[in-house]
Amino acid sequence: MYNNMGPQPGMPRPPGNPQPGPFGNPFTGAGSGFIRGGLGAYGERILGSSSEYVQSNISRYFSDPQYYFQVNDQYVRNKLKVVLFPFLHRGHWTRISEPVGGRLSYKPPIYDINAPDLYIPFMAFGTYVVLAGLSLGLNGKFTPEALNWLFVKGLVGWFLQVMLLKVTLLSLGSGEAPLLDIVAYGGYAFAGLCLAGFSKIMWGYSYYALMPWTCLCTGIFLVKTMKRVLFAEVRSYDSSKHHYLLLFLALVQFPLLIWLGNISVNWLF
Amino acid sequence: MTKDFAVPPVVFPTGGSSGGANVQQRRFSAIPFQQPPPQSSSQIPFLSFNMGSAAASSATTAGPFGGTIASSSSFGGGGGGSPSFEDEEPLLDELGIHPDQIWKKTRSILNPFRINQTVHKDSDLSGPIFLYLALCLFQLLAGKIQFGVILGWIVVSSIFLYVVFNMLAGRNGNLNLHTCTSLVGYCLLPVVVLSAVSLFVPQGAGPVKYVLAGVFVLWSTRACSTLVVSLADGGEEHRGLIAYACFLIYTLFSLLVIF
Repeated sequence: MYNNMGPQPGMPRPPGNPQPGPFGNPFTGAGSGFIRGGLGAYGERILGSSSEYVQSNISRYFSDPQYYFQVNDQYVRNKLKVVLFPFLHRGHWTRISEPVGGRLSYKPPIYDINAPDLYIPFMAFGTYVVLAGLSLGLNGKFTPEALNWLFVKGLVGWFLQVMLLKVTLLSLGSGEAPLLDIVAYGGYAFAGLCLAGFSKIMWGYSYYALMPWTCLCTGIFLVKTMKRVLFAEVRSYDSSKHHYLLLFLALVQFPLLIWLGNISVNWLF
Repeated sequence: MTKDFAVPPVVFPTGGSSGGANVQQRRFSAIPFQQPPPQSSSQIPFLSFNMGSAAASSATTAGPFGGTIASSSSFGGGGGGSPSFEDEEPLLDELGIHPDQIWKKTRSILNPFRINQTVHKDSDLSGPIFLYLALCLFQLLAGKIQFGVILGWIVVSSIFLYVVFNMLAGRNGNLNLHTCTSLVGYCLLPVVVLSAVSLFVPQGAGPVKYVLAGVFVLWSTRACSTLVVSLADGGEEHRGLIAYACFLIYTLFSLLVIF
């Protein structure tokens, strides 16, 4: 399947120029409205430049966040199945692209199971915090401050995951995938973490079986996703370097997720 | 041998019944105040303790000062250029607190099976503040001082719900932050009830507390998601997704109550 993807010139995601896409002008709508209002006003005050300059700069770093929330129930269910049991996914892993207005852009998540979304990562992160609080409470160590520290720990873990993916992309040439895509891919790890955390609450010993499983599944999911992203974004195809980096990506999931899943009062360890 | 001396009777010009006014006269006699000017012209409403016109109702039941101020207020209206006391709005109206509306909204959430959505159309923040204080009070009775924590979590969770709803609803989502905070606050009512009930649950009954908390959290979630979807556009096809976000929020608050 990816034979015809390789020699094609890379199909970068449009860098969010304010052109009409399948989801319309990126800065209309209530969802993006407050980004434009908030960040635009702030940036205008700081940079002292015109609003369009600030907007175009912001759109270079953040693609339209509205795209990532075009989800529905069925997509969420199927995507969770893909994230938690990636080897059962029979179809292909490439994102469906459609030519819109002369540019190639990807279909939104409702139409494409392989598209990243931000709803699942946010909800999984929230569930992780709640489950962590629950497991702290069941051990009698719950305080609101401890929960706040766990929130910070989750954020740090998400940030590390995003850094890892970004560094992988950068070291292989162009790191031009949109930042929110990487944030979304990094946040999918929390879904597996929630499963492991839930099982820890239910029966303590199942955690030791489910945790390596989660790490493995998240590793496989990230490897398969990043492989497609690399094919799309990176011009030169250097096989061995690709493969070593992807293997490293999967192996690093183990310490990272074990650290995140280890819920105790001392948040750093 | 006693020497009689004439004690002039102390007469206070109270207009009401003289019998009941005796006790009040005693109390009033202990208070030094200047003789009030004659009744018609009192430019400083609050200072004219004019008891000559204390109405019958005020003489019997009101406290010592209530009657006087009530009487003086009826004369203070004729005062000078400053805004008169009579023309001012009642304090609660001026503050924007409407107790009957708050009570109606609270009662609409008390029924877990059918929620009247029309009363929540105009959002207010004073009901949520009352519910927040009630939750903090019950937590205080349980020995946990969590005023700042609960306020912070209400703010963060309403921002969270606002972002999630508007992103999911897309172009035509029009939930605004005031309405969102109002709804999150009102739907805290089941959590307040949970914290009150859990004061009476015996200490060792673990699973009972969890089941109880689960029931109340589900009640809260149902109320909040129904209200949010019905009050703002664009949320109908995302009910389940929004309900999960509300569920997370109220589970967080119930963690504070249980543990």
